[in-house]
Amino acid sequence: MSVILWSVLALGLVFVAVVAAAYLGRSVAPPLVMPAGETLPTSPFQRLVRWSLALGLLPMAAAVGLVAWFGPIDYSEDDAVRLAVTLLLLGSLVVLAAPTLLAGVWATRDEGKLDERDRAILARAPAGQAAAMLVVLAVWVIALQESYRGGPGIPTVFLNLIFWSCLLVSLLASNAGILIGYRRT
Amino acid sequence: MTQQGLAERVGCTRQTIIVLEQGRYVPSLALALRIARTFDRRVEEVFELVEDR
Repeated sequence: MSVILWSVLALGLVFVAVVAAAYLGRSVAPPLVMPAGETLPTSPFQRLVRWSLALGLLPMAAAVGLVAWFGPIDYSEDDAVRLAVTLLLLGSLVVLAAPTLLAGVWATRDEGKLDERDRAILARAPAGQAAAMLVVLAVWVIALQESYRGGPGIPTVFLNLIFWSCLLVSLLASNAGILIGYRRT
Repeated sequence: MTQQGLAERVGCTRQTIIVLEQGRYVPSLALALRIARTFDRRVEEVFELVEDR
């Protein structure tokens, strides 16, 4: 097994150990008790993040589908497909980044849509971003290393795909972190 | 006073009032003071320190 594969394996083990330690050491909030027939109302920011996650995943899935359908190299050689994929990825980026951007606007307007708990949850949300990006990079490293072992250089189109996947997974992890934060407190 | 009414008066969401009532969220000093002031009480009459949290 190559040195890089061992490195990725070790990285994966460290990641699993960190996640396990974080899970075991998490603070457990007392159970939420609501009157019969009533559920905990969602906050405006929570609803925004839910919609962002749901709507942001659609163009991302479509882009991934196009790249998978045409192949990661062939898609980049067809201008129409490349443009469609780029537009879908940009759309996903805008939708997934919207909660963080709007949070800043809501915070300055002070309309009561974003309170201190929302801000605290938002501040803790990036905790998983670095780990998520690390996992994505590890997947890319393994996939590219194994696919192009001993062959010519790795096509430059993969740089574009690595960038977009890291960026979007980072935003997905942030939004998912926000929703997890609402469940934990 | 309803949870929604209190939330509007102190500048937070109803969800925050609910989780606060149930001890799942520890408010900032500013929010605790605003809630106490709403009920015309001192902050230690509305909130108590739970040592194990």
